[in-house]
Amino acid sequence: MKRSLPVALLVLAAAALAVLPKFVESTYVLHMMILIFINVIVGSSWNILGGYTGQYSVGHAAYFGVGAYTTMILMQFKHVAPWWGVWAGTGVAVITALVIGSICFRLRGPYFVLASIAVAEIFRVCALNLKDLTNGAEGILVTDIPPLMIGKTQITDWVSKVPFYYTGLSFMVLIIAVSALVRRSKLGYYFQAIREDQDAAHSLGINPTIYKNTALVISAVFTSLAGSLYGVYVGFIDPSTVLALDLSVQIVMICIIGGIGTISGPVVGAALLVPLSEALRSNAITDALIKAGLVNAESKVGGFLKENLAHAHVLIYGILVVVVILFMPEGVLGFFRKFSALAPRQRGEGGRRPGEGR
Amino acid sequence: MTAESRPSSGASRHLLPASGAKALLQIRHVSKFFGGLAANSDVSFDVNEAEIVGLIGPNGAGKTTLFNCIVGYYPPSKGEVIFDGRRMNGLQPDKICKLGMARTWQKVRPLTNLSVLDNVVVGALRRTNSVQEARAHAHEQLRVVGLDAKASLLAGALPIGERKKLEVARVLATRPKMLLLDEVMGGLNPAESEEIIQLILDIRKKGITQMVIEHDMKAIMRMSDRIVVLSSGEKLAEGAPKEIVENPQVVEAYLGAEE
Amino acid sequence: MQALISGILIGGVYALIGVGLTIIFGVMRVINFAHGELLMLGMYATYYLFTLAHVDPFLSIVVTMPLMFLFGALLQKTVINRVLNALPQNQILLTIGLGLIMSNTIMLAFTSDYKILSTTYSSSSVTVGGISISLPLVISFAITAAITMALYWFLLKTDTGQAIRATAQDREAARLMGINVKWMSILAFGLGSALAATAGALISPTYYIFPQVGSVFTLKAFVITVLGGMGSVIGATLGGVLIGVAESVGGVYFGAGWKEVVVFVLFLLVLLFKPSGLLGKSRT
Repeated sequence: MKRSLPVALLVLAAAALAVLPKFVESTYVLHMMILIFINVIVGSSWNILGGYTGQYSVGHAAYFGVGAYTTMILMQFKHVAPWWGVWAGTGVAVITALVIGSICFRLRGPYFVLASIAVAEIFRVCALNLKDLTNGAEGILVTDIPPLMIGKTQITDWVSKVPFYYTGLSFMVLIIAVSALVRRSKLGYYFQAIREDQDAAHSLGINPTIYKNTALVISAVFTSLAGSLYGVYVGFIDPSTVLALDLSVQIVMICIIGGIGTISGPVVGAALLVPLSEALRSNAITDALIKAGLVNAESKVGGFLKENLAHAHVLIYGILVVVVILFMPEGVLGFFRKFSALAPRQRGEGGRRPGEGR
Repeated sequence: MTAESRPSSGASRHLLPASGAKALLQIRHVSKFFGGLAANSDVSFDVNEAEIVGLIGPNGAGKTTLFNCIVGYYPPSKGEVIFDGRRMNGLQPDKICKLGMARTWQKVRPLTNLSVLDNVVVGALRRTNSVQEARAHAHEQLRVVGLDAKASLLAGALPIGERKKLEVARVLATRPKMLLLDEVMGGLNPAESEEIIQLILDIRKKGITQMVIEHDMKAIMRMSDRIVVLSSGEKLAEGAPKEIVENPQVVEAYLGAEE
Repeated sequence: MQALISGILIGGVYALIGVGLTIIFGVMRVINFAHGELLMLGMYATYYLFTLAHVDPFLSIVVTMPLMFLFGALLQKTVINRVLNALPQNQILLTIGLGLIMSNTIMLAFTSDYKILSTTYSSSSVTVGGISISLPLVISFAITAAITMALYWFLLKTDTGQAIRATAQDREAARLMGINVKWMSILAFGLGSALAATAGALISPTYYIFPQVGSVFTLKAFVITVLGGMGSVIGATLGGVLIGVAESVGGVYFGAGWKEVVVFVLFLLVLLFKPSGLLGKSRT
């Protein structure tokens, strides 16, 4: 197992993040950070099931959506405050996970992947059709978030982005802590044993069903937290945003690109992908290119870029995934680690790169 | 567990357990069918505590199939497997490991992307929830097999001989009462085989019962207290090594196919 | 009854998609998640041949099929070949990435606007025994049947076809027999792509054309191949028709919005109870 970053560095980073809103007022930066937090949370959660336990679910949107919908339905239709609603969301996510697990874990490898996709799609179509429950394709819009009160004092009225920032930060710190704890624990060893060779693990006293479901439940709980946060923050959800296959793929990509099976992988992945897609969306890249004189704003290329680069972020994701899988199977982080003198693992002649066949 | 001192191989032994020797594993009329094919047919024998029983037979005799039935990889079609007085039919492999029976694989199965130490820790965690304790125990087992120096290497980096040793260390870490070793010497050179033989004899000294599938006849002769011969799924013969080697049916079954 | 007939007809086209995917899986053991995007490319090619060159969509297959065959072959040689020995999960992610590249490039080039290909006979129908059937569907089915028969002849009677089947059955043995398995992979992917694109061409008069249309078909293709048995061409053919019927009839009984759920539930049932499919080999 890799050595972790020195604790001092981590504490420093956490402290910096904790005080960031005091020094940075730009709502845009806060918005980006919140999105990064949400992406780190879903990436790290997926990592526990996919990276540690080797079960590549490409249907994790199911848990994201279940969390989002539970919280939103309770808030908008039953007037339950979201800080209670999220826990109901996690409860529903646990049940969802156990049901999905009982179906999908009988299958291995690519068949598991396919089943996880099918199941998530069933959820999406159900959300579309059960209009009485979910408003169907119209989605659910947040109208009013009740202010958070402790006794008579109001903590926040949720108007600024700052409370969302801190909520996201806390959830993120939580999942990273859980990830790290699991990794060093008996659970972590057992998860990885299942990933490496499920039958060998079985013969060593490990019940694969129990442990795979445990990994899935942990993963689902945090993914649903992220979904709930996303829903309340963005203010609107519908099946095509929170239950979509695209989202499931994106979740996997965060880990693949950052480095699968590592704690910092999802962080790197999110920190790369979110600013990239935001920069594309807001035309920041096009503007920069024009400013640098590389592209003439009036030219055909300039016009094309201005109009279309904003929509290109998914294309970039696709290119990144292909590049990473072909050339950097350990993710961006692993790639740079290999070239640095700090590479902690030794490889013999018979060594295989992680991610290559069993 | 009583670890009675046993006469070295070559002395004759009774087929029934001598007084005081407990039958740890009892195979009773085990048959295994795959479709119409009988891979095992009415096989019965005992393995006594702290014994080493060699299981031999030509290729396709059903040795690994029998192992798989015993350890729960699949259930026997007929018959019973009784371990430590308890019926094992239909139990899952992890349950069987918890009850004290562990196996190695004919085609070695290291957890390739984990370190050598971590491989053994996975085994050790069977008996403790403390990772720290498990690591200490794992180091011990690695010392027993002589791999402690390579503890931090990736298991995938080990050559075949050391992978086999790693697998033994890993199952030892589960603190088994009985070990089933499936061709643990397959593909090894004479020096490596010798190390494994010593290892197996050392394991017996700890009181752990062993059943060994092996093609290396010299090794089987040296290690085994008793030998069971399978051929075409049936038990052909059972007895002390000397008896087996002089048994004309056994010789015929092998047709001189000794390595 | 009408649902049954149109189900069978569309099932024919589904079969083409499934057969393409199953050939790719059979020969290369790769799960091609970009299959729907290959179909989408076929749709766009057909659309532009129609609007710019006024070539009838059904006739344009003569152009689209070989074109997409070459595209698929090229894709295999340059990209997919590199992951033939990687973990299946990585293969899936790679093909997902390729699919995303394809659909989003098309989106950048041609925008996400829904395009409609209307021919003079797009909404015509034929009446047989009191049942009204869409004419384009009938023509598609006829062409599909013809292509399928040609495919069977190719696989059963020609040397190359038999080489492909041998490779699918046992790659190592095929290699030892002197078959150039690398070429077989290229051929298989090219063939699979051509079939997918042809399916796209065939349905272009009756479906909306937009960049993301592929993903729905990819999933359907998987359901079909798993149902029929991964690697079995006959299985995929049957599976395609079965799914077409299930979807059509399911849509009538449960409402159009639930059609997809019917297909997915069927998928899960097959995966759980008979993962090797109706006719498949149980190699995982």
